[in-house]
Amino acid sequence: MKALVIAESADAARELSAGARTMADEVVLATFGEAPEAVADKVAVIAVPEGAIVDDAADTLLALADAEGVGVVLVEPTRHLKTVAGKIAAAKGTSTITDVMSFADGAASALYFGGVAERALKPSTDFAVYTVGSGAFADAAASGANEAVSVDWVAPAKAVELVSVAPVQKSGVDLNKADVVVAAGRGFSEEAQLDMARELCDKIGGGLGCSRPLTEGVDWLPRETYIGVSGLMLSPKVYVSLGISGQMQHMVGANRSGMIFAVNKDKNAPIFKQCDYGLVGDIVDVLPALNAAL
Amino acid sequence: MEIAVLFKVVPDDQDIQVKADRTLDFSKAKPKVSEYDLNAIEEAAQLAAANPGSKVVAITVGPKSIDDSKLKKNVLARGVDELVMVADDSLDGLDAYATAAALAKAVESAGSFDVLLAGDGSADNYAQQVPVQLACVMGLPVVTAATKVDVDGAAATIERTLEDAVETVRVALPAVVAVTPDIALPRIPGMKDILAAGKKPAAITAEQAPVACATEVVSCLAPESADRKLVVLDAKADGAIDEFAAALKAAL
Repeated sequence: MKALVIAESADAARELSAGARTMADEVVLATFGEAPEAVADKVAVIAVPEGAIVDDAADTLLALADAEGVGVVLVEPTRHLKTVAGKIAAAKGTSTITDVMSFADGAASALYFGGVAERALKPSTDFAVYTVGSGAFADAAASGANEAVSVDWVAPAKAVELVSVAPVQKSGVDLNKADVVVAAGRGFSEEAQLDMARELCDKIGGGLGCSRPLTEGVDWLPRETYIGVSGLMLSPKVYVSLGISGQMQHMVGANRSGMIFAVNKDKNAPIFKQCDYGLVGDIVDVLPALNAAL
Repeated sequence: MEIAVLFKVVPDDQDIQVKADRTLDFSKAKPKVSEYDLNAIEEAAQLAAANPGSKVVAITVGPKSIDDSKLKKNVLARGVDELVMVADDSLDGLDAYATAAALAKAVESAGSFDVLLAGDGSADNYAQQVPVQLACVMGLPVVTAATKVDVDGAAATIERTLEDAVETVRVALPAVVAVTPDIALPRIPGMKDILAAGKKPAAITAEQAPVACATEVVSCLAPESADRKLVVLDAKADGAIDEFAAALKAAL
């Protein structure tokens, strides 16, 4: 069987190509820029025409999949490529199995209800489409001659027109790579109180993230620092949760941390059943004292 | 303008219990509108308000249990004019492929629409695939991750917020548009809205020809919980903050 890997980032291109090698005899990689060296048997660089969106590359990639006789498609779970995956799946009469964390015995494991459970899913069709998160194939090694395949753009029947693109201003902190993460939640009632969390970050060398309420609605912290379902899924060495109740939707993004520390004023908050060390108290009283003690 | 807003009814995740064998028990979980679909419903209502003479039809498919009077009123109290529901146990636990097939039929039976709005992802699967698959079934263009939608005439200008960029796109209508939760904050319906909701048209039908899923669930188990120390101290107790600080320092 042949596998098609579709990726926007070089890291995903490399890891998914390595994973595809464990599932298929031949690996075809489709990228939108330069491909990493020696990762696949064949490489197709898709040139998205000016005024087109990456999502609309689905028809081009479908033509490539058909021409190569592909049976399984591994896709990097970006916004653009999730649309591409959906369109390819629809055309092939199947469903994309999304945000796969691992594969075992022909089934793909993914979160259900944001982590209440993990489900193992299998396609009932001959053609399979998966979006796969980073880490699923961490142990696999990529190889291949990267033989160039040329691909012509196939315009979709109803194209979406790209008018303009503006880069999002990033906060500069990549919490995915941080060893220590401090997360602020609803316990912060004023934006100025976040300075106490920032001081704690300085003391322990942590990056500052948040639960959903602080980035949605109040906009106190950048959206890309939101931890939980549909946000960041982290596994730092140390995770310090401040004023966060510990609802499952948040904890799924943090429960793979090495050690979890929590401060919350409600002693019955679910966070205290999921932490290593908990401190029951209002962040307004606790944080100055904690910062002084560190 | 005719606006359809697609939503999913899911069990309330606050009341999902994990049994001793790690399987899930949904028996206490009441049906509710999947959280981020409320934002899509609000955007539909606001889009209708900005374009006088518009109509909003909310559409869903699912098992018989979604035909819940409180839930139906809750949807119709949010600026929605009509509700279309296909409630049939053959539509339980569908994947994106089967959902899109059922939804497409429900949409076609409900009328013709200029804009079909959907939420960012459902609380259960969060696959973000149904709007895309529905657009494919209906032969329509699709735009996801929308944070702003402006309709003028036969096209819409949409701002979509991606991981590292904001794209402004233009799409001919009709189109399927999946919106992020940021687009509109769901309203809290008042008593008057809820009373009026009971008088709005709601069509509840059974599925005639269900489409089979393209994926199967092999297992569904709660994760084994990580072994945590669970040392919880009262901040007011003597030495509690020092002990917490010492443990934190030791962990770094």
